Amino acid sequence: MNYGIDRTTAAIWIKFLNNRLLKYLRKGGAVLAAIGLVLVLLSPVIGEPISPGSLWWIEPVAYIGAGVFFLGAIAAFVSVQLASRRQGQNGGDRSWSRVTQDYFDTFAHDMGRPLRRILGKQREVRALLGETGEATPRMVTELLDEIEQQAPNFRLMIENVRVLVDLEDEHARPAVEPVDAAAVIRNIADRYLPIARERDLELVWWCEPAEFGLVYGDASALDHVVTNLVDNATKFAAEQIEIRLTRNDSHFLIRVWDDGLGIAESHLVHVFDRGWTPELSARREKQSSGLGLYIASSLSERCGGDLLVESKQSTGGDLNEHHAAFTLSLPLDNRPTAAR
Amino acid sequence: MTSKGISNGQKILIVDDEHMSDLMRSVLRRLETDGFRPIVVAPEGPHVGGDDYEAQTLFAMEEERPAAVLLDVRFGEYDTDRFKGLSILKKIVERDSSMPVLMFTQYAQGPYRDTAVTASLGASSSVDFIDKLASPEEVVLRLRRLIGTAPETIRIGSLFEIDAENAAVYVIEDGKRDLIREMQGMKLEILSELAAAYFRSEGELVPFSRLERFSEGDDSRASLRVRIRELKVSLGNAVSRDFGATELIINIRNRGYRLVPPVE
Ligand SMILES: Nc1ncnc2c1ncn2[C@@H]1O[C@H](COP(=O)(O)OP(=O)(O)O)[C@@H](O)[C@H]1O
Ligand SMILES: [Mg+2]
Repeated sequence: MNYGIDRTTAAIWIKFLNNRLLKYLRKGGAVLAAIGLVLVLLSPVIGEPISPGSLWWIEPVAYIGAGVFFLGAIAAFVSVQLASRRQGQNGGDRSWSRVTQDYFDTFAHDMGRPLRRILGKQREVRALLGETGEATPRMVTELLDEIEQQAPNFRLMIENVRVLVDLEDEHARPAVEPVDAAAVIRNIADRYLPIARERDLELVWWCEPAEFGLVYGDASALDHVVTNLVDNATKFAAEQIEIRLTRNDSHFLIRVWDDGLGIAESHLVHVFDRGWTPELSARREKQSSGLGLYIASSLSERCGGDLLVESKQSTGGDLNEHHAAFTLSLPLDNRPTAAR
Repeated sequence: MTSKGISNGQKILIVDDEHMSDLMRSVLRRLETDGFRPIVVAPEGPHVGGDDYEAQTLFAMEEERPAAVLLDVRFGEYDTDRFKGLSILKKIVERDSSMPVLMFTQYAQGPYRDTAVTASLGASSSVDFIDKLASPEEVVLRLRRLIGTAPETIRIGSLFEIDAENAAVYVIEDGKRDLIREMQGMKLEILSELAAAYFRSEGELVPFSRLERFSEGDDSRASLRVRIRELKVSLGNAVSRDFGATELIINIRNRGYRLVPPVE
């Protein structure tokens, strides 16, 4: 088998990487590369040699800047390459799912490589700084934190694209297996706890009953939907995030609640639309692609469940009277009837 | 994150051709600070390939008797070794079906769960997958959970230690442990319940439904509140402190209680 960028696999990629996604990738890559370049150029001013003894990383800002530049350049390059191959596109492959998964795997690995290096270097620098015990310039700490925090974003982004591929395949069925739902939720909580803490948010989770037991469903889909919800909650919460796992006779329910400003009533009908996001303020760096909730709700439906939203925005008086809550409901047993 | 349990030098076998990378070095460092003994599989020779890792891993399993294996999916950049990790996994499980294996993937669960290998694992095997980008803390946490042995002692910050087996709570001062005699019966049971959740996962809350058995009378929440107050006073006395409402054991919006390690 050939895992290189050949015509078939590229054609499959093009099929779902629509204009817009490619454009974002290209622009994002260019911006990232520019930031990296600026960091490198500014490093003599804003950075400083932290430990004169160890010469190999005299200038962490320059080092990291170079890494960021590299990552951005790769993203831009790949998107341009893919865009240029659009012409030769020919749809309709029988082995769609197989080939895309293989190709995606290679792609994800290669895209992740620069990030793994940057992240690894960052963690080494952090550990060494901790050992020397000297005061670290605030800018450096912020930079290290930023890099660490971007890792889950990257993970979610890659995973979102993978699920998009899956959703395009009408023949794909959810993989049904025995799943320890509480463990899936616990893992997500563990992953987001440091991020929540960094943003001064309190994240708690629990399940009722305590011994939740196994359900029959798609663990990876469950993980993915809830990760998207928790990711949003950490972006919008004011102080608190709650994840609750409960069950009734036929379904299990995961409710992700945050005490943020919530979603306007007129917007509630749109939140699950593909690509929808309220363009709130032009001043802020736009972080939303509007894909997360679309993917989450499509995936929930494919798994025989649904995703509901409920929100309250404060009406003047009590400032604490606002929240957003998403409830995912999935069947306790999603095996085909014959298999039970 | 602070270390909460004491791992008494359990051996962890590290099988990853990139074990010298910064990313893996930070994992190794974290394992050591948490009291594990990482043992790196590093075959020697001019052309080390996936097969060498496989052979050496199986040898090390016999030789070292590790408590768990940390295994990468990919070995080398050759297509033939692309999923070598999965074949090593299969061999490990064939040798010892109860061996806990934490496997690095590129994303949370990925397509590996669909492969013939994972399908053949069976429900009883303790194999789990984690993203290679996961923080060292997350890796160690998952590994600990996979090994599954509840620790004999759980530390709460640097002040207290709960010894579940001997049903005792100690205060730690200058490295010495002093028994807190007051901590018995129901107080100890409530604290153990809270500490167990805290150990499983720092964000886990113990909901009221799980604490109801410790309350009495019509107003079970009020009675529980009293119990928790008494518990905090007992612990506070031991360190000459007064733990406030937002310290040590906190009520989360009337959903339940949660343990938070006290700041010194
Ligand atoms: N918990 C929440 N609180 C308030 N707004 C939310 C919340 N979750 C989602 N939204 C709104 O829905 C929009 C789309 O979210 P989502 O589909 O997840 O996009 P993205 O993939 O960019 O995160 C967000 O831009 C935000 O305006
Ligand atoms: Mg989102």
